[in-house]
Amino acid sequence: MQENKEEEKLPPVSRRKFLSYLGGSFIAGGFLLQGYAALKSLFPKVLYEPPTKFKIGMPADFPEGVRFMPEHRLFIIRNGDMFHGISAICTHLGCTVNLAQYSPPKTYDSSSGKPVSETYEFHCPCHGSKYRENGNIYAGPAPLPLPWFKLYMAPDGQIVVDTNTTVDHNFRLKV
Amino acid sequence: MKEKLKKIIRKLTWTYTPETEREASDSTVRNFILHWFPAKVTTKSISFSYSMVLGTIILALFVILTITGLILMFLYVPSVERAYWSIKDLNFVVSYGWFIRDLHRVAAHLMVAAVFLHLMRVFLTGAYKHSEKIVGSYRPLNWWIGISLLLVTMVLSYTGYLLPWDQLALWAITIGDHIALSAPLVGSAISKILIGGTIIDQNTLIRWYVAHVFLLPVIIFLLILWHMWRIRKDGGLAGVEALGTERIMQDKVVAKGKTYSLMGIVTGITPTITQYRVRGASVNASPYLTRRIIMIFILVTAITMGLALFIKAPLEEAASLMWTPNPAKAPWYFLWLQELVADTTIRTRSFTISGGLIGGILIPTVLLAFAVAWPLMDKSPDEAIGVWFHKSRRFQNALFLLICFIIIALIYVGAVMRGPSWHLYMPWQQWIKMPARF
Repeated sequence: MQENKEEEKLPPVSRRKFLSYLGGSFIAGGFLLQGYAALKSLFPKVLYEPPTKFKIGMPADFPEGVRFMPEHRLFIIRNGDMFHGISAICTHLGCTVNLAQYSPPKTYDSSSGKPVSETYEFHCPCHGSKYRENGNIYAGPAPLPLPWFKLYMAPDGQIVVDTNTTVDHNFRLKV
Repeated sequence: MKEKLKKIIRKLTWTYTPETEREASDSTVRNFILHWFPAKVTTKSISFSYSMVLGTIILALFVILTITGLILMFLYVPSVERAYWSIKDLNFVVSYGWFIRDLHRVAAHLMVAAVFLHLMRVFLTGAYKHSEKIVGSYRPLNWWIGISLLLVTMVLSYTGYLLPWDQLALWAITIGDHIALSAPLVGSAISKILIGGTIIDQNTLIRWYVAHVFLLPVIIFLLILWHMWRIRKDGGLAGVEALGTERIMQDKVVAKGKTYSLMGIVTGITPTITQYRVRGASVNASPYLTRRIIMIFILVTAITMGLALFIKAPLEEAASLMWTPNPAKAPWYFLWLQELVADTTIRTRSFTISGGLIGGILIPTVLLAFAVAWPLMDKSPDEAIGVWFHKSRRFQNALFLLICFIIIALIYVGAVMRGPSWHLYMPWQQWIKMPARF
């Protein structure tokens, strides 16, 4: 008899408790799933955004030197028959950098001590980052140099910019 | 842990069942509005020199913002094609539209300022400190609710000035988005949620709009209610502690028929406060407290309206990613952050950490963490509760004022001393002339 009583006390989880845990966890699970669905819906699956590869025109449209293309936020630099493209988006906090042109050219000492002259620079209006001709940062808070984008020729003779692919400073498109 | 959870659930649900109809009807004590107030208040807690009535001022501003905001919702179209032009219409076509918009903006700026001053008041009087004297009180909780209110107020201001979709709006989102992007690991996911894609467009506007007109106001409203209720739970403003307040523990049963309504939620304790017997220390809440509150509401409304007549809400050119205004400045309450993100990039030979991460995320997070932990670290004696500049808190008050001073100094530098391309100018120097566009 005594043993029986102890056994009655013993069961750690009664049926009632078990069912209430079960019900509770289903409700909690339901809320979790709904929360997940709500959060997931905030991440768009399709982006109706402008393409990252686009034509910018025939090579002959570009003058010698640097040209700012505001609608694409990039600079196209022509040096004879060589072209390259530099992003106009500051690497610090995303403002559009301004083109600062110098005539006569500005001279500065490079890291190796040799004087270098340049005719333009990029200056950010938001927090004062300053970039050299090649996009390298020399003043201000920007953590990275301005990226160079890959350029190539479309079959119809226009220049195409691929802003998804960055290239190093030796890159030139020869037309 | 389980007990705590149970306690929280009990606090959220009404477990006190009245036994008669009369008890139930008595609970909303005769007047719906007056039942918010205690029957008696201490003269100290309604004195201007103690609290500077900043909380009431903020509430008045919030009411103004809610009413003007509702009107603006009828007149504003949250689409990238039309948002800017609906604000233009508001300024130049809609009857008194300019006034409603200016009133909304002035009240918003005043609210940010008042919330900041309120935080300073509470810190300098040591009103966030916990004391064992009042049973059932835990003032640090209200300090944390207050900090949440400060954050929500800032986010509301931020989302608010994005809606006109002018240059200020666009570049503010751009900078905010890039600060989020500079966070390691979670940065791009947060940015996706914030702007709804990879470029700032309609997805972004509708998100910020819904946050500004519904989500955040609901959150701030609930937090305000909680904040005010906690003051009652804590036995009134902290100034009462010095009067020798004591809350006597009693059985729930004793309290039942008498004052439940709000107090019914307080389990096991009745807020019988012995110091009310101290002569001259307390007065009836109505009319002494209610009269003051009405006066403050009228004064705040009058001052805000007066300012709105003279301070015009700016509207820059329509948003365009093609060029950034030079200089591009945030509103004054974010200028210290803008100054920080511009100054805190760390460069060594092998790696660079962006100022966006340090000044935009790490420094504010550290400040916030200190603010949250402060009530737990403050070991000053109970006498310092609710006393301006108590001598035992001299060091922490000095430290706090120093941080406030640095923030204000950074705001000054950002506002006055930064010219085109974020160059540093002395206040008396002329900024160089820059063409508006390149």
